[in-house]
Amino acid sequence: MKEYDLIIIGGGISGCAIARELSRYKLKVAILEKNSDIASGTTKANGGIIHAGDDPQPGTLKAKLNVRGVELYPTYAKELGFHYKLTGSMVVGFDEDDLKHLEQIYDNGIQNGVQGIELVKDSKRIQEIEPQCSKNAKYAVYCPNCGIVDPFEVAIAMCENAVENGVDVYLDEPVIKIDKENGFIIKTPKDTYHTTYVIDAAGLHADDVARLAGIDEYNIIARHGDLLMLDKECGVKNLMPLYPIPSPESKGVVSLSTLAGNVIVSATAVYREKDDTASYKEGIEELLRGTNKIVDGLNSRKVIRTFAGERAVVENNNNDFWIKPSTIEPNWFHVAGIQSPGVASAPALAEYVIQMLKESDVPLIEKENWNPIRKEPIDFSELTPTEQNDLIHQDPTYGKIVCRCETVTEGEILAALKRNPQPRTVEAIKRRTRAGMGRCQSGFCQSKVVLILARELGVSPSDIHLENKNSWILTGHVKEGQS
Amino acid sequence: MNTNYDVIVIGGGPAGMAAAIEASKQNTSVALIERNDELGGILNQCIHPGFGLKYFKEELTGPEYAQRLINELQETTVKVFLSSMVLSIHHDDNQTHYVTFINEEGNTTLSTKAIILAMGCRERTRGEIKIPGSRVAGVFTAGLAQRYINMDNFKPGNRFVILGSGDIGLIMARRLSLEGMKVLGVYELMPYANGLFRNIKNCLDDFNIPLHLSTTVTKVIGKDRVEAVEVSKVDENLQPIPGTEEVIPCDTLLLSIGLIPENEISSKAGVELNPATNGAYVNERFETNIPGIFSCGNVLHVHDLADNVTAEANITGKNAALYALGLTSSIRDNTLVVHVKTPIGYSVPSSIIKNENASIFFRVRKPISNAVMVVTSNGKEIFRGNAKEYKPSIMECQIIPSKILSEANDEITLSLEEGE
Repeated sequence: MKEYDLIIIGGGISGCAIARELSRYKLKVAILEKNSDIASGTTKANGGIIHAGDDPQPGTLKAKLNVRGVELYPTYAKELGFHYKLTGSMVVGFDEDDLKHLEQIYDNGIQNGVQGIELVKDSKRIQEIEPQCSKNAKYAVYCPNCGIVDPFEVAIAMCENAVENGVDVYLDEPVIKIDKENGFIIKTPKDTYHTTYVIDAAGLHADDVARLAGIDEYNIIARHGDLLMLDKECGVKNLMPLYPIPSPESKGVVSLSTLAGNVIVSATAVYREKDDTASYKEGIEELLRGTNKIVDGLNSRKVIRTFAGERAVVENNNNDFWIKPSTIEPNWFHVAGIQSPGVASAPALAEYVIQMLKESDVPLIEKENWNPIRKEPIDFSELTPTEQNDLIHQDPTYGKIVCRCETVTEGEILAALKRNPQPRTVEAIKRRTRAGMGRCQSGFCQSKVVLILARELGVSPSDIHLENKNSWILTGHVKEGQS
Repeated sequence: MNTNYDVIVIGGGPAGMAAAIEASKQNTSVALIERNDELGGILNQCIHPGFGLKYFKEELTGPEYAQRLINELQETTVKVFLSSMVLSIHHDDNQTHYVTFINEEGNTTLSTKAIILAMGCRERTRGEIKIPGSRVAGVFTAGLAQRYINMDNFKPGNRFVILGSGDIGLIMARRLSLEGMKVLGVYELMPYANGLFRNIKNCLDDFNIPLHLSTTVTKVIGKDRVEAVEVSKVDENLQPIPGTEEVIPCDTLLLSIGLIPENEISSKAGVELNPATNGAYVNERFETNIPGIFSCGNVLHVHDLADNVTAEANITGKNAALYALGLTSSIRDNTLVVHVKTPIGYSVPSSIIKNENASIFFRVRKPISNAVMVVTSNGKEIFRGNAKEYKPSIMECQIIPSKILSEANDEITLSLEEGE
């Protein structure tokens, strides 16, 4: 049995953010993640927007954490070496009805404390702010402090820094049983863990996990969202996030350029079964209609990938986050219902959780040697030709291109494999290096990545998975007796 | 190391090798840059026969065909850079082009008078046709599956459904069957097969693999690995017909849904692309809008046969060499723009010279059992061919003598007049 002071169940962006903040303290902490990689649930399938904070209803926890998250992101990005870009954003309206909604959003933003928010009633000004916005747009709410990240990169960076500071991460370990005995005894198929405190950040299944401990205080439903990714060459470049008028449940179909320069269209909102991350035809069609209405010049035939994610929604909670100690078990802390703006809120959420733990008398004593800095991995494609040349001379594996679409070298994959938690699947490598993320969608590089993984991990290529257990890629040799 | 060449060829598949060989025959210095560890391109994984009948007048496998060209190349002075990935092309005011590539030795820039783009094509993916359903393992492009089986010796599945009746899909249906994997069926969105007739016969009929026309995959089902696919019949607008869904249990979906020229380096260098082909606009010398940059093979337009790629590349290689030697100029008089009318999808070249015989390559977008080629110039008919059958799977070549072209004004339009 492994002993911990505190166990975080769930290695999504919330769990990773909390782990990173907790790693400041003299506390034995572990993350239990059911998937083969961290950041591979809701975290991997969303738009990656650091929303400015104009959308959440004033007074909600969401509103507070979103605005605070926006403040914290630049420092976080610097310390943790992830990409963050300030882009600004606009909620766009086309007629007088929309204007009424926009005035409401503007008021929300003012009440929430969104810096620099501006109500625009002049289409010329809209075009100045974002020339690729539809010429039909007449009104807008402009928020200059909206930004973008790759959400999985943020979570991985947080987690790697937490691990450097002593947090343990266990992958492929779904929680199957929880006993209450001098704290909690948590069983996974592989191992048993004893802990005093639990932070339940298990995303869509946070309620199910809590019930394993006899805690039945809320119910989670899944709000599914389809997303589209377009090629970098799709007629639109550096598009700031453009939002339509939101509904109570969703910010609607948002279009934006990602850090890498693709366009992402995100996301529909339909309640579905938990764990249904399939793409739906009607969702894809809604996204295409939505983006064509709000963006000019987008070649929507250039879709390279459709995908979907699910937001964890706590029922009867006014669409707000559910972050509080259990009323039944005071050493059990719920971090649930982290729907949008979960990514934007993550650093503030961690800060809030630390405060909650302090108020619950969890002993938090700062370490003397805590290191807030995580060294940013080398991204070959971002280097100057001279830097590329020097790097190849130091290590020739950087001269071998594995993924031609995204210019990812073998050196970057080998470096990713040395990080902790170690990526062991094709998708985990993709999230860390971008290999396979481009227009050919791994048609050329998947076999190379599989062979590199097998070689470095000392297993057969048949044992390399795409993502989770059972997502096998190959099934033995065509001709036996050969290597 | 020599960093200046008369001609630089990007890509070492059948197009690049053939172009380099011909360029070198004109007594030019030629460099060829190939990203893989060996020459041959995609031919190396095409271990089936059927290559070379037209060009070498005998039937060869892909690797054998590649070897013929490799042997020829070795007889020349062409400098070959293997395992080398071109990152960019740029040019200066003196019409000198620069090609930057990396390999394990570092970052190298070569200068040249002429560049031949011969990077080939990639496969269309699931994302491009937006197949709904779960994102599970077991959805492969046919070429990737072919690589796993023929190059890496691994089975990518046990029970296959193939979407698309393109040639690679058909070849793979036979290959999988021969290696003991089960192919449950080939599904084709269009009301006709997309691959060559000989492949339908040799790869499907001979193995009792059913071909379902006007049917497509409408959903991928599974939790971690493909567990089934849902197929549906489509109507005349290619839209799935509700109520015709059928779920087929399988563990693998192969996609053979078309090829796209890989022109990202070209367009970054300013080469103008034709949306109908995703390849460059070229003149009859296979020169793009940028003087000194030429394009041939599947990066220009997707060919039916490697033999046709090679023939096109021979011409391109020679033209690029003559340009590099200053024997031809980019400034030309008497040019004619080539237009096409549906059902002709595109033409290569897109402009020709009036006082030379023209070979115009094109494909039709739908099968036509009986049609006559009619060429007009500014509305006036100048040429009428004989009635014949046209198929989308076949790349056609229409030769128009200079005598006829001399009657043309500033453009010609190719159209097909459908007969009974």
